[in-house]
Amino acid sequence: MSAAAREMGPGEWREQTSSLGMWVFLATEVMFFGAVFLAYLYLRTQYPDAVSEASRHTHEWMGTMNTAILLTSSFSMALAVRFSQIAKRQTVQRLLWVTAALGAAFLALKLTEYTMEWHEGLVPGLHFTIARNARVTQLFFFLYFLATGVHAVHLAIGVATVLWMSWRLRKPPFPDWRADEIDVLGLYWHFVDAIWIFLYPLFYLVSLQA
Amino acid sequence: MNSPPPVRVYAVTWAALMLLLVATFVAAHLRLGPFNPVVALAIAVAKVVLVALFFMHLKRSSALIVLFALVGLFALAILFGLSGADYATRSIHPAPWVAPAGY
Repeated sequence: MSAAAREMGPGEWREQTSSLGMWVFLATEVMFFGAVFLAYLYLRTQYPDAVSEASRHTHEWMGTMNTAILLTSSFSMALAVRFSQIAKRQTVQRLLWVTAALGAAFLALKLTEYTMEWHEGLVPGLHFTIARNARVTQLFFFLYFLATGVHAVHLAIGVATVLWMSWRLRKPPFPDWRADEIDVLGLYWHFVDAIWIFLYPLFYLVSLQA
Repeated sequence: MNSPPPVRVYAVTWAALMLLLVATFVAAHLRLGPFNPVVALAIAVAKVVLVALFFMHLKRSSALIVLFALVGLFALAILFGLSGADYATRSIHPAPWVAPAGY
């Protein structure tokens, strides 16, 4: 055991290392999504007018609703982490259910949106029928489906993990390392929320001025 | 971790996030010219800072964890800086279209 570990005590040491591990993973995720944001920045600076027009095909109300849903899910997740630190097992379990339900609602709305976009002919390569600025619009929607799709996969993994954690909390005991697991899960959840916070203005709010 | 902050802290953070969401939605419908994307991104950054400080409790985390939270952003800044400098100074000269052999 290192000097730092002795100074902290085993509980705090474990908490520090588990958080740190998740933050290292999140740093790699920043780079992963960062490449997509860079591609977007290039497209938007090279073809500002065409990107503006393309963005009008997205469904602003659905994107806005989903942002509200996801921000609220982060609220319930943060509360779950908070109550896990004082070992309120049943409260944590209920809050995790709420979080997973909100995550699932987000995914359901996103799938509805994808279905609409399919029927509107906005899917590059498979079903694309927009003639105006076709090349840039296709690139815009390629990035849209890539970014929101990868985000949705991350969220689906989050929902599954939160449900699994909630199931594991169905009966006592509630050992104190459980709080560290929930804390790490919370960090992941909030990160996925943070990615959406950027995707929302970049894809939905580009050009809504009358 | 020491005793957790009161529920009020989380509720206020959530309320602030919802207000910022309304603000960004309203701002997107106003004619602000070049400031439209600036305002949209500034609000997004403000939201993420709130999420990171209070929901991801970076405000109460050790310096080491804050450092690791920032290191990904630092690497991202290098990616954006170097690639951006390249794209910004390069003009595109598309090659004339040539029919592939056999057409």
